Amino acid sequence: MTPSSQGSPAAEGRLAAAGVVVIRDGRALVDHADLAVKAGEIVVVEGASGSGKTTMLRAMATLIARDAGSLTLGGIDAAEIPSTIFRRRVAYLPQLPPMLEGSVADNVATGPRLAGASITEETLAALVTRVGLPAEILARLARDLSGGERQRVALARALANEPGFLLMDEPTSALDPTSATRVLALVRALADQGLGVIVVTHVEEHAARLDGTRYECVAGRIRAKE
Amino acid sequence: MGYVDIPLPRLALALGFIVVAIVLSRRGKLRLERDLAWGAARAAAQLIAIGYLLRALFANERPGWVILALTLMLLVAAWTSARRIKSGRGSRALLLYALASIAAGAAVALVPVFAFIVPPKPWYEARYLVPIGGMMLSSSMNVVAQVLERLFASARAEAATIEQLLALGATPQQALAPYTRAALRAAMIPTINGLLTVGLVALPGMMTGQIVGGVAPEQAVRYQIVIMYQLVVTTAISGALAAMLSRRLLFTPAAQLIVPPEPEPLPGK
Repeated sequence: MTPSSQGSPAAEGRLAAAGVVVIRDGRALVDHADLAVKAGEIVVVEGASGSGKTTMLRAMATLIARDAGSLTLGGIDAAEIPSTIFRRRVAYLPQLPPMLEGSVADNVATGPRLAGASITEETLAALVTRVGLPAEILARLARDLSGGERQRVALARALANEPGFLLMDEPTSALDPTSATRVLALVRALADQGLGVIVVTHVEEHAARLDGTRYECVAGRIRAKE
Repeated sequence: MGYVDIPLPRLALALGFIVVAIVLSRRGKLRLERDLAWGAARAAAQLIAIGYLLRALFANERPGWVILALTLMLLVAAWTSARRIKSGRGSRALLLYALASIAAGAAVALVPVFAFIVPPKPWYEARYLVPIGGMMLSSSMNVVAQVLERLFASARAEAATIEQLLALGATPQQALAPYTRAALRAAMIPTINGLLTVGLVALPGMMTGQIVGGVAPEQAVRYQIVIMYQLVVTTAISGALAAMLSRRLLFTPAAQLIVPPEPEPLPGK
C-alpha cells in the first residue's frame, strides 16, 4: 500500500452528478446542475461567491442532502454505496481544512485509523513528500502550521485514504502566490497519476493554469465556460 | 423518637435568608432580586403543594396513583431537560429521546433496588417510591440536559471539524466521539465528586432527613450508600443513552451533519 500505487481510479471511472437541486430556506442554491469528472481529468468550476459552486461540491461529496438529482460513482448510485466507503473514494477538501488535534502524523493517519487500519511511518513520509512537504513535518503540531502547509497536510490526509477522486473547494484562495503555485502544480501531478479532480475557484488565473475542463457556475447552474 | 414540628410562623422566619441574599444582590448590583424572590416563592409553593399531594397520596395509596405520580415527575423531567435545546429535526423527537434516556436511567437504578435491596411493602409504597424515584429522575434530568446541551453546542461550534472527519470516512459515532466523551465525563464528574466527598463535606439531604426523622444513623447511611450507587448508574445510563440518541438528531440517515440552531437563552438574560 504505497500512496503512488493509485491503480483503482481507472476502474472506478467516473464521478457524475446530474440534475442536482439543493434548496435551503426556500432558495435553490443549486438549480439542476450537472457535473462529471473522469479518472485522470481535472474539472475546474469558476464562479462568484454565492453562485452555488461550493454547495454543488459538498453535494457531490455527499456531505449535504440533495433535494433532487442523481449522483453516481463508477456508474453506481451513491445512495447504494455506504457513506464511509463513498467518502474514502471521493475525498473532499474544504476551503480552510480544519486541522485535527495532535501532530501532522496523527492528522495524515486519520482516514486509515477511522477505517481500523494502521499506517506505517514510511507511508506517512511518502504521503507528505508527495504533497511537497519534508518528512520532518510529521512530528509538528498540526494546528501550528501555516495556511499553505495546512492545505497540503489536508491533501496528504485525504490521499491517505487512496481516493479515486478529489473535490477541492478554493484550494488556493487563502494562499500566498508561491504556495498557490505549488498547490496548482500538485493538483496537476495528482491528475497525471490518475485521480479525477474537481477544483472550485473564483480565481480565473488559477483556473487557467490548471489546464482542465472549464465550467462556470452562475445562480446555481453549471455550464461550459466559453 | 419524634421530630420538632415547624409551625407556619416559624417557617416564615426562614424567609430572612432570602432577604439577606436580596439585600446583597441589590448592594452588589447583581440584579438577581426578582429571580431570588420568584425562586423563593416558587420553591415554597411547589414544596407546600407537593407536601399536600404526598399526604393525599399516602392516604390513598394505590398502585395507579403512585405510578401516575412517578409518570408526571418523569414528564416534567424530560420536558425540563429538553426545553432549552433546539434541534433541526423538531422538538418532539428531542423530547421523546430525553424521556427515553431519563426513563431508562431511572428504571435501571430503581427496579433492582426496590426488588432486592429495599423492597417496600406493598411494592407500590409511595413513601419509598416517590422520594427515591424523584432523586433518580432529577439527577437523570440534569445529566440528560447537560449531555444534550454540550453535544448540540459542540455540533454547532465544531461543525467544520466534524464534517472533515465525515469526509475522511468517519461514521457519525466516530466523528462525534471526542465531544461525546467530553460531555459524558463532565456529566459524570459531579456524581463521582459526590461519592468522594460524601460524609466529609456533604451530609446528603435524604440521610439528614432520615436522621432528623428519627431513623438510626447507621441505617440512614445504608440508605444513603444505596442512593449514591443508584445515582452513579442512573447518570451513566441516562448520559450514554442521551448521547446515542442525540446522534439521530444531529445526523441524517446518510451521515450528514445537521447543524443545530442556537439554543434558547437562559432565563434572566
